[in-house]
Formats: sequence, structure tokens, C-alpha cells
Amino acid sequence: MRRLHIGTSARIIGVLVILGIAVFPLYWMFVTSLTSNQALFGSSAQMFPDLTRLGTYGEALSGNVLRWLMNSTIIAAGTCLLTAVLALPFAYALSRFRFRWKSIIVIGLFLTQMLPEALLVVPLFALFRILDLLNSLVGLILVCTAFVLPIVVFILKGAIDGIPRELEESARIDGCRPFGILTRIYLPLIAPTIAATAVISFFSGWNEYVFAVTFAFDPAMQPMSVGLASFIGELSTPVQTVMAVAVMYTLPAVAFYLFAQKYVVSGMTAGAVKG
Amino acid sequence: MVRKNAPKTLALATAVTLIAAGCSSNGGGADEGPVTLTFAAVTFTETGRGEALEAWLDGFNTSQDAVRVEPAGIPFATFSQTVLTQIGGGEGPDLIRFDQADFVQAASAGLLEPLEDHIDFGQYDLIEGPDAYAFVDDTRYGVMFDVASYSLIYNTDLVETPPTTFEDFLAMSEELTGDGTYGMAFRQTKEQEPGMMQDLYNYVYGFGGAFSDGTELTLNSPEVVEGLTAYQTLYDAEVIPRGADAATYRRMFAEGLVAMTIDNGGVPGILLGANPDLNIAAAPNPFPVESQGGIIVPITINAGSEHKEAAASFIEWMLEPENQVSLQEVMGAGSVATHTERSAEQLAAAPYLQVFDDLTDSTQPQIIEGFEAQTPELRIIIVDQVLSALHGEKTMQAAMDEAQEMAVARFGG
Amino acid sequence: MATVLSSQAQRSATPRSRSQRRKSIQGSRWVPFAFLAPGAVYLLLFQGFPLLEELRMSFTRTSLLNPSVSEWVGLDNYVAIFTSPAFQQTLRTTLVYVIVCVVGAISVGLGSALMLNSAFRGRGLARALIAVPWAAPSVAVAVIATWMMNAQYGIVNRWLDTVGLGVPGGSILDNQTYALPAVLATTIWQLFPFCSVVLLAALQAVPQEVREAAMMDGAGRMWTFRVVTWPVIKPTVALLALLMTIWSIRRFELIWIMTKGGPIGATRTLVIDLYSSAFEVKELGTAAAIGMVGVVISLGVVIASQLLTRRAERKDL
Repeated sequence: MRRLHIGTSARIIGVLVILGIAVFPLYWMFVTSLTSNQALFGSSAQMFPDLTRLGTYGEALSGNVLRWLMNSTIIAAGTCLLTAVLALPFAYALSRFRFRWKSIIVIGLFLTQMLPEALLVVPLFALFRILDLLNSLVGLILVCTAFVLPIVVFILKGAIDGIPRELEESARIDGCRPFGILTRIYLPLIAPTIAATAVISFFSGWNEYVFAVTFAFDPAMQPMSVGLASFIGELSTPVQTVMAVAVMYTLPAVAFYLFAQKYVVSGMTAGAVKG
Repeated sequence: MVRKNAPKTLALATAVTLIAAGCSSNGGGADEGPVTLTFAAVTFTETGRGEALEAWLDGFNTSQDAVRVEPAGIPFATFSQTVLTQIGGGEGPDLIRFDQADFVQAASAGLLEPLEDHIDFGQYDLIEGPDAYAFVDDTRYGVMFDVASYSLIYNTDLVETPPTTFEDFLAMSEELTGDGTYGMAFRQTKEQEPGMMQDLYNYVYGFGGAFSDGTELTLNSPEVVEGLTAYQTLYDAEVIPRGADAATYRRMFAEGLVAMTIDNGGVPGILLGANPDLNIAAAPNPFPVESQGGIIVPITINAGSEHKEAAASFIEWMLEPENQVSLQEVMGAGSVATHTERSAEQLAAAPYLQVFDDLTDSTQPQIIEGFEAQTPELRIIIVDQVLSALHGEKTMQAAMDEAQEMAVARFGG
Repeated sequence: MATVLSSQAQRSATPRSRSQRRKSIQGSRWVPFAFLAPGAVYLLLFQGFPLLEELRMSFTRTSLLNPSVSEWVGLDNYVAIFTSPAFQQTLRTTLVYVIVCVVGAISVGLGSALMLNSAFRGRGLARALIAVPWAAPSVAVAVIATWMMNAQYGIVNRWLDTVGLGVPGGSILDNQTYALPAVLATTIWQLFPFCSVVLLAALQAVPQEVREAAMMDGAGRMWTFRVVTWPVIKPTVALLALLMTIWSIRRFELIWIMTKGGPIGATRTLVIDLYSSAFEVKELGTAAAIGMVGVVISLGVVIASQLLTRRAERKDL
């Protein structure tokens, strides 16, 4: 009994330590954004935010930050939508049909999942130039979708695989056609997984940096990632403002994650754990 | 929406793709209204000078209806990579304010428009010294936007008489350092590689060295090593806020936490923008030889621009005498393309301007002569090796010997 | 990809006769292609075509400043990178980076999953909070990590100084010895929550009664873990190892923003080398060749893991 007790308190301390490690950098981001110069460059660190300095956030917002936030939101939402539209039928076909070249398609999907974004920047730049998609949010949505589509297809395929085939068979007997089967039978059943993949593709759009930094040279089209990175190093932007912008970039993602957590976890585990 | 109807879903997918392929969101050559050009410059991202330059640009936009120039601020750290990728791909801003090394590289690759085809430069009173750097292979690809020397900038509340020798400089910096205040500040991190290289030129030139003799690289010549050792001496003496980037230490300077810095003529304006009550003066660098690096920055036209004539009309506007005067005021202590007179009030209000102006003749561009197009790559090698010396992994001599070896292996010089 | 692996296993587990399946679904043989077409065309256009273009470029000398003109040089780029000592260092750095990332993220993830896998008050909150690093955007993570490791004012440096472990020269990210560990720590911080969440789910399948019974019988914690828990989560760990390997090979923003691969190549992984060759050195041919090496390595990893999984499955049977 006594031994169990020690075990429990050790476990609690362990949990607290690991949570501290997980959360501290983001806490520190927030504290730094609300620290005066004197304290920032002083001889010891100030550990708590100075809430009287919340005006920093107002100042930070007066620049381009609102536009960047909006662009990031559009890119993320667009990626989310386009990915779902393209991935669903793809995953359905992979899961429920047998056809020639299936294994080649699967290998192709594998391969695209492994490509580093940086590898394709130059040829995609040339392609987007021809299609007149440089400097546009649509272009960034298209490219983000291309990189997140394979994993989403795999996750959705896993979810469809998990649904008993008998359901579909009975629907077919009732005269349902493949489109109807997908939308009326599978969609509702795999809705949680769709939500999870939506979060994943939203994140992919929200985080995108490599393409945006090369393709979106018009400041009006830049997302938050590029805006924030542009603060690093040379600008005479105060650290507090940089951190305030970083907080504004991180917070929506974390909030969205916490909000959709239930789905994300089930999707991630559906994607990685099954079998 | 996805749930209701599958054919609709597919139609939507097709529509999205079609819209994506068909719609250009890149305005380009609209038929109605003024032609819109973009002008890329690091300056637009600076607080203080950025707003002032935009206001100056508005002067052009309101002066006529045919052409509108939009500012595109691209940060210094990514400027070269971003702009060169774009113009290499036949895209990008129409007008570009280019750093010397990038300018030569871009011009050599045929990415810039020869300007003599569009503008008659004979009619302008150009300053000859810096203007020579607007040519690559005897063709003019640019005209100076601003030229700014580097010199010692100090806070007169902390420093009464500026040092004239390196020994004085070091001693004074040590004396002024303490209690959160620093005698000196410069760039010393990989994160700020291009800026750190700009700082290094001052020490190399100031001790009589150069990274090449015009035909061969001399990265490990005694003068270069001596200059870089002086740089390291300041670093080792801990008289600088280590790890602070330029944005941070300039802000610290503005708040009286840094007493001296060696920076270009644009910087006093940035510092005064952060703290208008700051008392700034300037003096020549406290090094043995009066020679320093300078920002020699031409404005150029993208050879891929669809509106070269419109872009040229902007440059012509820029070269008009009154606009040169106002541009010089915006850019701070330094010269512009043509000879200008500073007003007596301006000089009285900011005596440091004269110091910078006087240094123009002894200023050298921040490129490696004979290796202009390779300067960006040499910069990576040099900065890496200097950093390894700063971090005590080898002596400065050994570091520069290695840099020389690597550079020669790569470029044969 | 994980799903593909798992669904293959699943399919073999529930065999189904071919004729039965065909009768059940296949209306026309074109139906599956109608479903596949939009996504497939899309991927061919935005991934397949550029990849082929990179492959072609890897046999050419092409400058970023004029990418439309390229000179065919055969295998020159490959010969050049494989004979360059710098690229050998890049491969070594990549290897160290990937191994430490995979081992680090999985062990920290497993440790935290084991801790969270018990009933205590606030467990839901703890489970939510632990995933926060995974949700934070890489660029923001790089920004805060760089600031925390700032030579003079970074909190990490202040702490290290207090315990007498201060980095000589102060600047962690500019120090050849400390830069890679610093970047690794940041990467693991960002990746371990994913492992943690996934493993936590896998741990639900561990029979609690058996575990408790073993503990009752006086079996050690380690022994119980090895005999009862490990066999259940082993396939998940294997999958995570594969995912982490591929993710760490691809990781770009974090390293690029924190160190640009420096100092002197200390953190120059394959992807950084690729990006730097393309955009700093402006040699697209070299960059493409480096990228192709990366693709081949990733493919190798996937094939090797498939073979290992198959062998393990056969052994289990």
C-alpha cells in the first residue's frame, strides 16, 4: 500500500514535469511579449507577464498582422476543403474497389508523402508561373493540398476499411449507386475521421512556409508564417512585438487543436495505430 | 455541403480547380486605370525610414495618373534569395533596390534591364565615384539609390570624445561596459550572416586589408587576419551584448544601453526614430587606416518586367533634383545618385551628417573585387570560419587559412 | 502510410473471396477510375510532374538565376556530391539527427504516455496540454526557441549559467558542439506529443488485469512492462519509428530558421543542404541531385521497414 503511494506521487511529479516542458516555451513566448525592455535586458529573467503591457498586442496588430492572419486562415480553410473534396472519392476507390494499377497508385502516394517540400519549390515555381498562380492565395492552397492529400487519403482509407462491407452490400441491393453509397452510407459513418483529417489539412495550410516565402512576394498575399519569419534578425522590430505576433500565430492553432482534440486523437490513432 | 450530394461535390472540385487555373490574382497589365508597378526594397521594412520612404513614393504616385508604384518590403535576411528566385523565374518586382553583390550577380545573369536604352543619363549630375559601381561589363544596369558609409556612431551622453585608435576604442568600451550597459555592439551570429559580413568589411578595410587583390583571393592575408582579430578582441572582451541581433542592439542603443556602434549612415535615422531625444554624434572609425565599407545600392529594373518604360519613368522622377533632395533626407546620412546640397538647418540639426558625407571618398563597396558574382557564397565560408574562431574552436589565423583553402578549392582564385 | 501498412495486415486477416467481392460492388470497371481521377490528376500535376522535372534537373547544370537554360551533364552532379567531404558530413549529420529524433521522440512519448495512462484527477486536461507542442506552428516554435537560446538574454542560457554549464561564447546556436543538440531538443519537443498521444491510445489495449496480476505476484515494473505491455504496443512503436524517420528526414523550417544548417555545417541535414544549394549557392542541378539521394534514402527506409514488418509477422505466426 505504502509502495503504491510513493509510486503515485512520483507519477504526479513526472506528469507535472512533462507538462511543464510541453507548455513552457509557449508560456515564455507570452511572458516575453509582455516584458519591458529593462526587464528583458536585465541581469535576471522576469518570470511572469506584466499585464499592464497588453497594449503591445494592439501595436502589433496595427501592422500587417491582421492581413497575414486572414491570409493564413484562407489558405488553411481552402486547403481543408479542397483536400476533403479530392481525398474522399480517392480513399473510397482505394478501399472498396479492385482495379489494375492499384498497387502503383499506392506506391505513388507513398512516394509523394516522403518528398521534402523544398525539393519541389523550383519546378512548382515554373509551373505556377505558367498557370499564373504565383502571388495568389489560391496557388498556396493548391500546393498545400498537394502535400497533405496523400496522408489524408491514407487515413480516410483506413476508416473506410474499418466499416463492414455488408452495409454497402445491402445498400447496393436497395439500388444505391456508388456515389450514393459514398455520400449516404460512408460519409456519416466516417465523419469523425473526416473531422480529424480536416484538422490535419487545416494545420498544413496554417503552418505552410517554404512555398509561401518563395511564391508570395506580394506582401498582401503573405501568410503569418512568412510575416513572422520576416521579423527574425534584421528588422528593428522589438522582441516583444515579435513574440506578440508569434503568440497570435500560435494561439489559434492551439485553440483549434484543443477544440477539435477528440477528433484529432481518434484520427491520428486511426491513422497510426490500427492493425 | 459535402454531405448532401456527390455530383455536386465533384462539380465543386472541378470548379475550384478551374478557378484556380483560370483566375489570375496577379493584376499585372490591367487595361483600365494606371499601370501598377512593385518596387522591392529592404528599406520599406524598417521602422522610421520605411514610412518615410513610402511617403516619398506617394509623391510620385500623386504627381501623375499613368503609373502607380507599390512598395514591397522584403526583409534583409531573405531579400537576396527571395528576389533572385523570382526574377530568375521571370517574375518578381518591376523595380528593385539591390545590394551590390546581388546586383552584380543578377546583372551578370542577364536578369536586369540595361538602363541606357530607356533613360538619357547625360542630363544628370551623377556622383562619379559610386556611379562607377552601377556598371557590369561596361553596361549600366542601375543608378544609385543610396550610398551610405559606415562610421563610428556614439551616444554623446556616454562618450565625450570619440576614440581614434583601436587601443583607445577597446579601453573605452571596457570602461563603458557594465550593469546592463555595453560599450559597443556589432553582429556576431550566423542568423544574421549578411549583416555580420557587412560589419566584417569595416575591420578588414580599416586594418588595410581586402578579401582579394582583384585577381586572387586573400582571405588569410596578414591585414585581413589582423582586422578580424581586432573584431574578435572586442567579442572576447565581452564589451558587446553577445547574441543580440541588430534589431535588439539598435533598440538598446536608442535606450542608452549601448554607447558606440559602427554602422551605416542610415542607422542614425533608425535610432532617432526609436528615440527622438537621443544625442548622437559620429566620427571616423578608430582603426589604423581610414577606409570603411559602404552600402552602395543601385535601383534597377527587372528585365522580365512587363512595364519597363513605366519603371524607367519612375527612375527619371527619382532623379529630378527636388526628389533627390527629399530622398536623401529620407535615407539619412549618405548620398543619392546626384550631387545635392544639404540645407544649413539640416546640418545644424544633425552635425553627424557631415561626418558621413566626408567619408564618401574613402568608402569601398562591400563586395570582393574580381569575385563579385561569388561574393554571396564566399560570405558563407568567411562568416562560418570567423564564427568558429569566435567560439574558440580555432585561432583566427587557422580559421581564415581554412576559409582561403575552401574558397580556392571552390573558385580557383 | 501507416494505414496502408495496417490495412494490408487487416486484409490478410480477413480473407474474402474474389468473386464475392466483385459481384458485390463492381458495377462498371470504370467506376473506380471516376472516383480516382480528380485526386490522381491533381497529384500528377502538382507532385508527379515536378518530381520528374527535378529528376531531369539532377542530370543538368542549371542556375537559379536562369532556370530555363540547363546544360546536360550526365552523372556529374552525383559524382560531385558523393566525392565531396561536405556532403559526407551532411549524410552523417542527417543520420545522427534522424536517429536521435526517432529514439528521443518515441522514448519521451512512451514515458509520458505511461505516466498519463492511469486514472488521476485532471487527466483529461493533462492529455490535452501535452499535445500543445504538436499544434504549435514550426515557424513560431523556431522563433521562440531561438529567443530562449539567445546568448545574452535567453532563459536557457541564464539557467545553464546558474548551474555552471554555460556555453563558451554564450551563443548555443552558433556553437559547433551545442547547435545540433539544441536543434534536436527543439525537434523532439515538437514531435514527442504525437508519439505520446498515439501510444496512449495503443496502451488502452494492454490488458490491465494481467498487468495488475503480474504486479501483485511481485514482478518488477520493468519485467511487467517487457512481458505484458511491450508486446502489445510493439507494432505501434514500429509504425511511429517509420513515421518519425520520414518526418525528421523532411524537417525543414525549424532547422532553417534556427541555424540555417550552421555553424559550419553542424546542423546541415540533407534537406537544409538541398535548400541551401538551390537558394544560396543557386545550383539547381546539385540541389536536385541531393534531393534525389534523399528520396532514395526515404524509399529505402520504407522498403526496409516493410520487409522487417513482414518478417516479424511471419515469426509471430
